[in-house]
Amino acid sequence: MAHHCTRISCLLLVIAAFAAEGHRAATAQTKPYAGTAIRFLAANHPWTEAIKPLLPEFEARTGIKIRLESYGEDQLTQKLTTEFTAGGSDIDAFMQRPLQEARQYVQNKWYTDLNPLVKDPARTPADWSFADFQAGAVGTEMVKGQLTGIPIVVEHEVLYYRKDLLQGAGLSVPKTLDELKAAGQKLSDKGKGKFGFVARGQRSPAVTQFSSFLYSFGGDWFNQETHKATLDTPEAMAAFKFYGAMLREYGPPGVLNMSWPQAVAVFAQGNAGLYTDADSLFPNMLDPGKSQVADKTGVAVFPAGPKGSVMYSVTSWGLAMPASTKKKDAAWEFIKWATSKETTTKTQSVGAVPGARGSVWDSAAGKAKFPADWVAAAQASAKGRSYDRPLVVQVGKARDIIGSVIIASIEGKDVESAAHQANKDFQALLDAEPK
Amino acid sequence: MRFEGFLDRHVRWVFPLPALVFVVVMMAFPIVYTVWNSLTGWSLSEGTPPDFVGLKNYVALIRDQRFLLAAARTFYFTVLAMAVEVVLGVAIALLLNRDFPGKRIVNSIMLLPMMATPVAIAMVWLFMYEPSAGVINHVLRVLGLPTPLWIAGADSVIPALALVDIWQWTPMIVLISLAGLAGLPADPYEAAEVDGATAWQTLWRVTIPMLMPTVTIAALLRLIDALKTFDIIYAMTGGGPGFSSETLNIYTYNQAFSYFSFGYASSALVVFFAIVLGVSLLVSVTRRTVEV
Amino acid sequence: MATHAPPRTLTSPVAGRTARLATGPSAVDVAHFAAVMLVLLLFLLPFLWMLLSSFKSAREIIKLPPSLVFAPTFENYRTVFATQNFGQYMANSTIIAGGSTLLGLLLGLPAAYSIARFKQHALSLAILLARIVPGITFLIPLFILFRALGMVDTFASLILSHLLVTLPFIVWVMVPFFEAIPVALEEAARVDGASIVQTFGRVILPISGPGIVTGAILAFVFSWNNFMFSVVLATNRTKTLPVAIYNFISYAQIDWGGLMAAAVIITLPVLILAVITQRYVVRGLTAGAVKG
Repeated sequence: MAHHCTRISCLLLVIAAFAAEGHRAATAQTKPYAGTAIRFLAANHPWTEAIKPLLPEFEARTGIKIRLESYGEDQLTQKLTTEFTAGGSDIDAFMQRPLQEARQYVQNKWYTDLNPLVKDPARTPADWSFADFQAGAVGTEMVKGQLTGIPIVVEHEVLYYRKDLLQGAGLSVPKTLDELKAAGQKLSDKGKGKFGFVARGQRSPAVTQFSSFLYSFGGDWFNQETHKATLDTPEAMAAFKFYGAMLREYGPPGVLNMSWPQAVAVFAQGNAGLYTDADSLFPNMLDPGKSQVADKTGVAVFPAGPKGSVMYSVTSWGLAMPASTKKKDAAWEFIKWATSKETTTKTQSVGAVPGARGSVWDSAAGKAKFPADWVAAAQASAKGRSYDRPLVVQVGKARDIIGSVIIASIEGKDVESAAHQANKDFQALLDAEPK
Repeated sequence: MRFEGFLDRHVRWVFPLPALVFVVVMMAFPIVYTVWNSLTGWSLSEGTPPDFVGLKNYVALIRDQRFLLAAARTFYFTVLAMAVEVVLGVAIALLLNRDFPGKRIVNSIMLLPMMATPVAIAMVWLFMYEPSAGVINHVLRVLGLPTPLWIAGADSVIPALALVDIWQWTPMIVLISLAGLAGLPADPYEAAEVDGATAWQTLWRVTIPMLMPTVTIAALLRLIDALKTFDIIYAMTGGGPGFSSETLNIYTYNQAFSYFSFGYASSALVVFFAIVLGVSLLVSVTRRTVEV
Repeated sequence: MATHAPPRTLTSPVAGRTARLATGPSAVDVAHFAAVMLVLLLFLLPFLWMLLSSFKSAREIIKLPPSLVFAPTFENYRTVFATQNFGQYMANSTIIAGGSTLLGLLLGLPAAYSIARFKQHALSLAILLARIVPGITFLIPLFILFRALGMVDTFASLILSHLLVTLPFIVWVMVPFFEAIPVALEEAARVDGASIVQTFGRVILPISGPGIVTGAILAFVFSWNNFMFSVVLATNRTKTLPVAIYNFISYAQIDWGGLMAAAVIITLPVLILAVITQRYVVRGLTAGAVKG
């Protein structure tokens, strides 16, 4: 009979129906976000360069289109501030500098707390492994119990030195700050334009690189329990005086206007023997295409002060999700992918971006693009302090206050009174901080 | 025809109307927004909401040492840059006003300093000015001359920045003056020749007076811009060393985008605006009373 | 030495052209040319450094003394165009600067004429206010405004915000030029039956050639270099060159070579434009020979 489906054709129909259902389900699974676009604001950074070629693969897999915009650091701050302040922004993910902005953003409720997303097994498979991230790096991202971002770049302060100059002077690599001072003196010949030591001296940029000196002398910005400023403790003053004296006596002229571009230029030209700054700057000194002393430069752990070798070990950049985004799920997919073991291995091994995943650092691929002594120094520094500036909301103002003491020290002015004044101003700032 | 008659009778309103409407519409909201904010204590970093606080910000501003110093520095920088730019600009325009081979190219090349993107120019000068790594001091060292700190010294930073501004904007005065010279009528010159005037007399009694209106306007426009100079200072020193190159514009930018004190920054902006307006009015009124 | 030619002084607008054709370069001509070249060299020095550096590797650029002889590399230029999407940014900048300049002329020229003829000082000040107000004042409010209008990622929003920069400039530059035109000229045209609009279009504008061209080019340059508005109001699609140039300044590295190459490329379109239009400024010499 015609309207009776024969057993075979029925079966075929059923199979076809199931297959179609299965295919639709499979497509829905592999491209659940087909047609979604994510607006992602990034900074001009090697990480951004490293992630760009990987985006098409992500898009093909999930169907999410990434609209990436990149800006210089300060412009990014300006743009994010403008858009978030004006309200109703359509940014879905952005690169953050947790130490510079996280507290303020938390206060203004501009973040989506990522903790629930990370802990939810339905959203985040266990093998993505949040535990794989270095403890210090995660520490930087935690503000008032919120996970403000996932770390993607970590940074420590290290010592760059000229192997040939030290050898020539019969010195070994400085392991203590006293040895640093002695080496700085021996390598200095200002008349000939050779300087033993160079470091940042500009008001705000200097503060972060001074921090390791402060910590190694046993000082800190303020007591986090009592909220009392500690810029004029004996330890802090010793640190200020040491840093200023190093630059004043063994540093190049014009140090007061030096942020890393100028300091790096002096070193890369071959005119400085020792340089303390972030390890992320290493290409400027170690890349033969950029530096005239590439093959003569070594990297060492930050020297020890009276209270040990305490350098900063921070998350300099993380991936964050704004509170205002309407595409939380898609944005989390992107952030998860961008910070996964797989992707981190690629950005770290190909792009030479120091990531925050312990497992990647342990792998050979993770170390491939970094010089051996750099890796040793970075790994030894991983246990350092998780902040390189005061953990306050008004970071900009705090840095200006502290910077003025550094400048006074470099200029050889009265450090004691400068520190006392700064401490007063800083205390006022702390008192005005929202609780 | 009737439309044209209407236009003719009302040209003094019809001609400027589009420009006026545009300016008013585009400026109304921003100005109201800023003035309103200046009366609030809004600070993103201190967590204070935009509640009305009256003139508190303005009072604090007048007492703010840093603000007053910024104002002083702004004037110092502006006067220094302007004086040189106007004199040098007119002088070079006179020099270029003659016929010579390649005149067209030269006049166009004079545009280059203005055209280079501010941040690129700032980076170039930053590097050239570097006391030990830069090329300027290197040349001075070779010649046995003293090597100043330029932008790295608290005392030399404003003149060094003014030099960059002079380098960049003198061409603007030059070009406007050249256009002005090109438009000068020939009659007075023929009369001067008939009277037997020397070249010097012609310059001072004929050319310069006739050029004055154009130069004054160019100077006024430059004055406004010089008071508001931002790009090169921000990129080269960020207001440093210390705060010794922090001008009003840098100061307000820092308050807004570094300290996020929008209320306070707005009050600084209002005062800044008043200062620029005041100076502009002064110059333009002086110009009109001096003119015959 | 020719005696009947007009005095070949630096001050006469009809300087030396006819005379030189008759006798060939004199000592004064040569000295003059040397002086011009010296001035040019001083102004171009940073640019020459930039140009040279654009063909060097980063390592070569920071070398002291700077090398004048070296093996050039085109890698920087390749980077600029290939990896940084510069063609698009250049197009964006051109559209926005061109748009705001054209609109500036359209709105500004009639306004300037009216102000010049009818001495509308209050009006001119109102228009100048847009340039007096510090740029930061506009950032957040304009963003709010354009977001409300759904215009954030458009060229229109950028052109309109840049118009705030170009319009006052054009108006104020043109006022003295219009003022300098003898009223007798216009009256002659009116007597012939032309309306004010016709007089404006057929008599005033052509005579003001040099001023208009100069004003337009400078306005174009201001818009071309504008940074602040572009950062806040643009996205990748509408990004302009001054913002794009930051692509070479990364978090921990500066691509000096790329930066220099980009800076050189950025100046080219405006330079070419200037060379082409300088003809009209120079040609103004004959237009200036207006006998009343």
